[in-house]
This record gives sequence, C-alpha cells and structure tokens, in this order.
Amino acid sequence: MKQEFSVIGKRFSQADGPAKATGAAKYTGDIKLPGMLIGKVLRSPYPHAKIKRIDKSKAEELPGVEAVITWEDTPKIPYASSFRDLPMAPSGSLQRADEYILADKARYVGDAIAAVAAVNEQVAEEALKLIEVEYEKLPFVILPREAIKPEAPKIHDYAENNVAVHLGYPLAEGDVEKGFQESDVVLEETFSVSKQVAGHLETQACIANVEPTGKITCYSPCQLPFPLRRELAKMFNLPEGMINVVSPFVGGSFGARLSVYNEPIAIALALKTRKPVKIEYTKEEDFTCVHTRTADEYTIKMGFKKDGTLHAMQIKVLTWSGAYLGRAQLAGAITLIWGMGHYRCPNRAGECKVVYCNTTPSAAMRGYGNPEIMWGVEQMMDMAAEKLGMDPLEIRLKNIKKAGEPSNFGLPIESTYLEDCIKAGAERIGWWEKRGRKEEGIKRRGIGMATMTHCSGAYPLLLEHSGAIVKFNEDGSVNLVVNPGSPGTHIWGALSQIAAEELGIHPEDIHIVTGETDKTLFDLGSHASRSTYVTGNAVLEAAKEAKRQLLERAAKMLEAPPEDLEVKDKRVYLKSAPEKGLSVSEVVRSAMWDMKGECLNIAGKSSFASKWTSPPTAAYFAEVEVDIETGEVKVLRFITAVDCGTAINPMTVEGQCEGGIQQGIGYALTEDFVINKETGVLESDNFTTYKMPTALDMPETEIIIINKPDPKGPFGAKGVGEPATVGVAPAIANAIYDAVGVRVLDLPVTPEKLLKALKEKQHGDSGRGD
Amino acid sequence: MQKQIARFIINGRPYEVAIEPRMTLLELLRDELGLTGTKYSCGAGECGACTVLVEGKPVLSCLTLAIRVREKNILTIEGLAKGTDLHPIQKAFIEHGAIQCGFCTPGMILTAKALLDENPNPTKEEVKEYLAGNLCRCTGYVKIIEAVLAAAKAIREGK
Amino acid sequence: MTVVTRNLKPFEYFEPKTIAEATQFLSTHGAKAKVLAGGVDLIFRMRRRQIQPEYIVSLQSIPGLDYIRKDGENLKIGALTNLRTIELSPIIREDYSILAEAIHTIASIQVKNMGTAVGNLCIATPASDVAPPLFALGAKLRLIGLSGERIVPIEEFYLNVGQTILQPDEIVAEILIPNSSAKVRGAFLKLVRTATDIAKVNVAVTLTIEDNICRDAKVAVGSVAPTVFRAKKAEGILIGEKLKPEVVEEAAEAAAEEAKPITDLRSTAEYRREMVKVLVRRAIGKAQERGN
Repeated sequence: MKQEFSVIGKRFSQADGPAKATGAAKYTGDIKLPGMLIGKVLRSPYPHAKIKRIDKSKAEELPGVEAVITWEDTPKIPYASSFRDLPMAPSGSLQRADEYILADKARYVGDAIAAVAAVNEQVAEEALKLIEVEYEKLPFVILPREAIKPEAPKIHDYAENNVAVHLGYPLAEGDVEKGFQESDVVLEETFSVSKQVAGHLETQACIANVEPTGKITCYSPCQLPFPLRRELAKMFNLPEGMINVVSPFVGGSFGARLSVYNEPIAIALALKTRKPVKIEYTKEEDFTCVHTRTADEYTIKMGFKKDGTLHAMQIKVLTWSGAYLGRAQLAGAITLIWGMGHYRCPNRAGECKVVYCNTTPSAAMRGYGNPEIMWGVEQMMDMAAEKLGMDPLEIRLKNIKKAGEPSNFGLPIESTYLEDCIKAGAERIGWWEKRGRKEEGIKRRGIGMATMTHCSGAYPLLLEHSGAIVKFNEDGSVNLVVNPGSPGTHIWGALSQIAAEELGIHPEDIHIVTGETDKTLFDLGSHASRSTYVTGNAVLEAAKEAKRQLLERAAKMLEAPPEDLEVKDKRVYLKSAPEKGLSVSEVVRSAMWDMKGECLNIAGKSSFASKWTSPPTAAYFAEVEVDIETGEVKVLRFITAVDCGTAINPMTVEGQCEGGIQQGIGYALTEDFVINKETGVLESDNFTTYKMPTALDMPETEIIIINKPDPKGPFGAKGVGEPATVGVAPAIANAIYDAVGVRVLDLPVTPEKLLKALKEKQHGDSGRGD
Repeated sequence: MQKQIARFIINGRPYEVAIEPRMTLLELLRDELGLTGTKYSCGAGECGACTVLVEGKPVLSCLTLAIRVREKNILTIEGLAKGTDLHPIQKAFIEHGAIQCGFCTPGMILTAKALLDENPNPTKEEVKEYLAGNLCRCTGYVKIIEAVLAAAKAIREGK
Repeated sequence: MTVVTRNLKPFEYFEPKTIAEATQFLSTHGAKAKVLAGGVDLIFRMRRRQIQPEYIVSLQSIPGLDYIRKDGENLKIGALTNLRTIELSPIIREDYSILAEAIHTIASIQVKNMGTAVGNLCIATPASDVAPPLFALGAKLRLIGLSGERIVPIEEFYLNVGQTILQPDEIVAEILIPNSSAKVRGAFLKLVRTATDIAKVNVAVTLTIEDNICRDAKVAVGSVAPTVFRAKKAEGILIGEKLKPEVVEEAAEAAAEEAKPITDLRSTAEYRREMVKVLVRRAIGKAQERGN
C-alpha cells in the first residue's frame, strides 16, 4: 500500500545549510568564552610505563599558567569512556570503568599524564615542557595475539592475559559440530580487519565552564549528550542536574564521538581555575587518542548443503581493544551477533575475546563490528558459491531471512526487502553481462557483491529511549524540542519532516530546539542508526499528542466532534465540510491568549523506547579494474541498493550511502593504521600518512532506494547511517576475485599484498597474499 | 620579534592588526578577527579545510604566514554572500545536499569558486581534479561535484 | 611524541629586497636560518616542531624571480615561479611536457598555488615529483651565494635525503633546461595510494630516437633511494639500440637493480623495486609512442 505523503519522501534542503555555507555555523573550536583559558595535555611518549614521580612546580610558576593537574589533583573515580549502564541483557555486566581522568599508569603512547590551563597555546606548550615526569618503562605489546600470551605484560591489573571480555555467542542455537558433519561443503578461513580511523575533519574539542553556583557547562561534540552528562556526574560526584552538556555543530562523528575524551580534563582544569577552559586536539592527537574502528582477527567456519543452504556456522573472534576498553568491550559480542545473524542458519556458535593492547583504544565506528565481520562472511559466501557451482546471487537469495523470522538481535524482523535490493543492484551493475569475463590484458575488470543486515536502534541489546516535545507557536509554526545529538548528519531535517507530515504543516514551519541537555528531554543520542527510527518515533508520538490537543481545542471552536477534524496545510477543517475551518494559527493564538482564562499551551511530549527490530538491509555491487602488473585496484562503479524503509528524505539517504562508499573504499584499499613496532608510536598520525579517498579516488556511484515501508518505523522509516558502509569492502573483495581470481583476506588490500597474491597464484600457491 | 601592525584586506575591507611573524593567516582570521568560518583541521596541508582565496587563488591558510599576505586581497567564506543573498555556489551546495556536517564546506566552496572563475564550464573530471586537495568524509564528494556543476550552469545562465 | 601543537614558535622574519641581501643574511645566520618560498613543507615541519629556525628569510619581495622564459641556450624558470604557473605554462606544456605532466600529478591545487618548483627541489626529498622530470630533461640549477654563482647539473645537486650541496649562504635562483631537451619525447609515471599521496615510486624518461635507433635516453628514478637518481646502466642499455621489447625489459630490470628502496608505511622495498621495473618499462613505452 503506497501512501501519499505531503512532505515525507521529498528532497528538502537542510535548514542549517545557509549557516554552514556561509561559515556562520559554530563548532566547538569556534566558540570563545570571556576569560577562556587554553588547556593542553601532556601525553606519554611511551606505550607502557609506570609514573614514578611528577614534579609540576616549574610549570605552575610559569607566568600565564593558571593550573597544572596530575593524577593527584583529579577524582580517583574510574570511568568507562563508552559509558556505563547503556546495555541491557545479556551484556549488562560487561561495562567496566577502567579509565581515570589522568592516567595512573601510561598504557599507550598518547595517554594523558598531566594537563595545563594557560592564557594561550604558547604558554601552555612551554608549561608542558616544564612538567618533569619520571617514567619507568615497561615491556609493551601491540597486537592482540601477542597480548594474550602468558608472558605478555599485564596492562590492567584485573585482566588475566589482557583478556577484558571472554564470551560465547549470546544467541547460539543448535549443534554446530553435528551441523558441520551434516554439511556437504565445509569452509574455514581466517581474516583480519584493521583499525580504521573515523577521519572526521573537525578535531576533537571541548570547553568546560563552571558557574558560580558550581554548575558545569560542557560544550562537547559527543554523540550521546545525556550519557555523557551521567558519566561526568559520576566522575565528579555531582548530581546530573549540575551538569549541562551543550552540543554545537559537529564536524563528523561516525561513531568516534561516542566516547569521553578531553571533557573530564577540561572540567578538572575549569574547576581549579574557575575560568572556562578549551581543549582542542591537533589532528595528530585525533589520530593517536580518538577511538578507532575495532580491529579483529577472526576465523569463520561455514557448512552448506549442496543446494546452497547454510547449515552450520561458527565464528571465533580475537578483538583488538587498546589501552582502555571504550566500546570495544561490547565489540566482540556484537561482531558475532552481526556475523551469525544475517543469514538463516539452524546451527550457530561462537566465541570472542576482547584484548587489551598498548595502543589507541578501539570503539564503535560506523557499523560497529558489522563491516568488520561481513568482510569475512560475504567472501565466504562467494567461496561457497564457487565450490557449489552456484551464482553468488543465488546463494544469497537462498539464505537471506524473511520478515517474521528472528533478526540478528533475536526478535522478529518487522520488514526486510533485501531480495529487492539484490535484484535491483544486480540488474543495474550488469551482473549477468559483466561477470566472469576472464580477461587477458594487463587491466582486468570484475564485478562483485555483498549484502548485510544492520539495525535501527539497538533494542534489545542496548538501552533505547528518546523523548521529544512539540509545541505550537501563535503563528502556526512549531518548536520541536529534541536532542538526538549533533552527529553531523541531517537528522533534524528528517525529524522536521516527520513532525510536519503529522501536523499538516511544512518543514519550514518547524523550529528545531536542541543542543542542550538542560533544555531537552532525555534522548540516548546518535548511535546504532537509531535516530530516524527511535527519535523519529518519539517525535511522531509527541506530534500526535500535540495534534490531538489542537483538534480538541479546534473542535470546541468549530463546534464539531474532534474525530471529524483534519489538519493540513496549516489549516484545521471538517472532513465532512472542508470549507468550514480555522487556521492553525487562530486556534493556537486563541488558546495561548484566551482572555476568558481557559488557556492552553498546545504541546505534546513523548517518552519513546522501541521494542521491535526493524533491521535495514542492503546489497552492494562493485565493478573494479585490477592492474595485474602493479596490483592496483581501481573501483570504477559502485551501486548500493538499500532497504531503509520509507526514505524520509531521499537526498539524505543518498548522501549517507555515498559517504559510506567513500569510507568503505578507504577501508578496503588504502586506510592503514600503522604503529611502529619498536616504539609503539603511531606513524600514520595525520591525513598525510593515513590515506582516505579524495574526490579523484571515487568511482561512479548510484544509490537505489527500495523505499518500502516498515510497519514500526515512523512513516515506515528504518535506519541508514551505518548500512551506508557495511558491505562496501567485501563487495570490492569479491569483485577483485572475479577480475583476477585471488583474494587478500587482511585489510587493507594494498597493491603490495595483491601483487604478492597474484604472483603466488601464478606459481600455483594459495593466491592469498598473506 | 616585536609585534608589528600590518594591514590586511579581507572580504574587501581593510584591517590593521598587530601580528607576529609566527602567526599564520588561519590564526589571524580565526583568533584575531573572529572569522571562524575558515577551519583548522589537519594543519598539514592535506585536507583543504583552511582554504581561502588570496588574489583569487586557493591557498592553505594554515601553512601561510600572515605577514606574507599583507595588502593582498583575501576572500574567506564570510565574504562570499552579499548580505543575505547567497552566492550561486552556496545555493547549489544547499539545494543539492552537498553539505552534511559542513566542516569541509567553506574550503570546498571557495576552491569551487576559484575553479569556476578560472573555468566557467568545467567537466566532471575537471571538477574532481580541482577539488582533490579538499577532503570530505561525509558526502563521498558525489553531491559536491553535482552542486559545482549546477552552480557553473547557473552562473553561465546569469542566475 | 604525540604532536599537540597547533601554532608556530616565534622566529625573526626577514624579507630581503635583493638576492645579495638574502645571501648576506643567510651567511650571517647559517643553519639557524631557513629560506621560505611556498612554505608548504617548511611551515608544516615547524608546526610539528621537527625544525625550529630562529630566522626565516622570505624571498617574496625580491623582484624578478617569477618567470618562465627562453633565454639563449636554455629555458629558465625563476626561483619564485609556482608549480601551478609551470603546470599551465604553454611553453612548458608544448616543449617540456613531462614537467607539466609530473606537476599535474600533484593533485592539490592549493599546494601548487603555494609551492615553487625551486622550493620543492630544495626540500631534497627523493619522492619529489619535480626532480625526476628535471633530471630527465638534463636540467641545471643556478646557485647564488655571497661569493658568486655556480651552475650545477641537477644530478649533482643532491647528496642524501634532505641534503643538497647548497652552502649556508646559497640559494637556488633558477632552473635551466637546455634547448636540446625541447620537444624531446618523454613520460612521467608515479604510483600512489590515493591521489594526494607522496609517490611510492616515480619515474621520468626522455628518449631521443632517430632512424629507429635510440640516440639518447635519460631514465630518472625517484622515491627508491636516498636521492633521485639517473639509472645510468639502464640508459646504457637503451642507447644505440632499437627499442625492442627485450631491450626495454633489460633496461627496466637494470634500473630496478640500481634502486635502493626501503620499506615504510607507504610501501615495501620488494614492491618498490618491482615497480621500478614496471614503471620504467611503461614510461619507455609511453615515451616511444609520443613525439615526432
């Protein structure tokens, strides 16, 4: 049933476009408060070291320095940089607070040892040099497989063999051993995926200010303002109401801003100096300290029946955390959940170990384990198809789930149109015409595909709760009070369209009120592709309530029953006699300013927590050209066919998918987080050394939006932010295989590795380049 | 070295600022003059977020010493619109969804302006080449390129 | 060390009005002074505190250093001529196309507006995209110091990574490309990770072919040794021969053998060496296809 919408599905421009296009939009670094000091952090030069002694006296004496803090000066309450109390069952017990505001021990190069607040950056830099730190260097470990060895140095006292988390796959089913025995074809491969950097352009920044009352204002780009407020309250032993988290515009997040970074240090400095303190990272600090995508090594075993039915599946993951857990503590389990929840499979088991290393921590970059694991799963599906003599499309179609079946999270799938995605994308890329070309020249082309299922919000794994207020103004416009965070996506536009559709007004008549925890209702924030689905539903509920009140009031004025009324184009009218009506403005104005004393603020409020699973799905198709002499891979064309329910704003959905392609291509081919093995120092510490695709590196792209509504999403919408990137890399890997018959199983697939694999294939070896 | 008063012409207006040689143009704009539209990102000349036009040419303000651009015509993003009348490139960026987080946008728009001043009818490939020094992590560049081509057309048609 | 500095440390700044003033100043302050041309490399390294000059000498007020002109036996490029000017110069594109071609592969328009060719050469990185084509064009450099000037072939200019023969009081005032290199057939190739990356390997080849015989060949290889170098063995294999595939292959292999590549975060030594062979072979092929 196709619904006719007034504003849903239209390509509206964003209301904040002019501010961003003219330079007026203020990001955290652009904000200057009177008397503001500049904060800077002294960072450990060693990957693992005891701090024997710190002497800050010389630094404190330097003119222009107003505070110098160390471990001694900060609360000894450990925190979880990825926030406690987000998870529900069964992972609730995993949230561990393992970080201090300033380190008790240096656990990675870049760890925060001390901090200063000074009148400008120059003085702050001088002050850092004057802080004397006596380190006792300890042995260190970079890779997880080294860190779990018995002889490895212990990074956190509680973690034996540096294992922070050791879990089985929480949704295990059936009997995998029996399942493999019953399978006609069994495949097993080991893959490794890398620490991709979020690469947002805006460097991490925050400002802390303490009011005379002791109330703290914290300007932060954090994607989860309310959880941040709660964690800060715990850290500083304050009631939540004494902290206001302010969200300026944010220059990209991609999951990296889910964590706490410099906020506690800035607050500690602000508390000491009683002046505002700003800490802005350099891009080098971003690379060194901001949490990356979680890296893993994993082995996947899959058993198939000869007709292509997936019968048994087992995944074992070694998850690379870092010096502190961050979101990596959930990453192992969620990786298993994505990997084994995408296809129908009666026998599933798995295991994950999340391991501390003396490196930059890992977290929940866009996709949170899904891109990581589908890198392997989707290549295995192609390998199985080849062994079984099936088309890769056929083996997908055979095993993808249908609506009503249990989703990756275990609850029934509310809607899925993955089959539509696969068929539409295959047709558009020229699947049947262009695959298996078996070319002879130096440049060879290939076509490959991948699929995935993600989530719209993380119910039932993580807490879900969003709230909104919709209140009418006398002119018939609406203030929409929401706080989904400020991740840099177009979420406010989508929310405006949802409210406008329900209220029969235009998105231009919606004023967004957001950006402060003081002024908005609780919203978890932006992660797990939840904002359109969960905050969107919260907005819809609030709008429905506001509409109900509006119609009830109008009913009195029009002397008609409320059920007989409708609102459209800013006008309330009788369904039975449309010419009889009032403007919304008249209704609101008369209610607000009722001279007889029967006043009413026409407003709706909601508290919404989703209780269903409406997973977005997508199919990705890549056409590549491989130069067999240099191993270079050029992505010529990329098509993403996405099922995100109703596209509230198709232009926004396309934008997300196009950006996701850029990140997926970088993940697949060029982005490499390089740590010096001798020193533990990060070598790829800026865009000069860490290479993300430029405009010249992008292929021709096409985004196909299936646009079929979900029963539970607001106007049928599902999430899209993370689906945008999940399957890009394996589609490229499968295309490379189609072109030249080799695979490189560890990311990134550099020309160096691919050429090695090609040469090995020539000489009759595995052709794996590893 | 003592601070010295230097004269700058920014967005058509003269400014006299006490500067030190060590001050970059980016610092001058953001910290001294409060023109925060030009962004500090990589500080390495790689991302283009700090791009401004000096005598109409796109340069990286994070690597330009302010003292070297005295008396030169400098255009920042704040100088592009005429009051509330947005430049066609700004309009096109907004209409075509070429702005997501917006952080790369000022640099992108100015680089695009320099392109269209030099070459009013660029091909898609020429647009890509010209924007190669401006990184974006949100959009995949697709709608940015679309917007630049649309702006080129609008400008040629006198809109 | 994690770089936590966004701005620069203080320094003294001097803007000489003549080359003589510049060389005098440099002579006085020696290693404490650095010359500022485009600044893309210098300012970046200062920001990261890799170098901290006490004095910066900017040449921008010296008139008459921004030119491309034919002058007697040479095409001359002045010290302040920026990369974009050279890329777009009709005479460079017509007659010395591999130089324009090479600069074109520097993808950032901003870097090309700011950076000068001479400045790029003086950074003395073996991965320069400007040096290999100039090597292959037989370019010379005019060095001016306190006591006078000297002209050196570009392949004698470099000593090691980041090291040239420049004395503390000397600057490079111009690049000279001999007329004999005009319209020579050539090609420049490079391998990068993304469009704006520093080369893994870059190669510039020029060939003079008469009556089907190669009379002269210059094979310049970058990024695989402490300096850009001319692969003389490879050149020797080509000169005097018909450029049949076997001959080209032998020359390409010889060039690869002469390389001393390293493994770093961009690539491996093994790959780089192999790619020298591939790029030299391809550049020779491309050069053969071009020209009169």
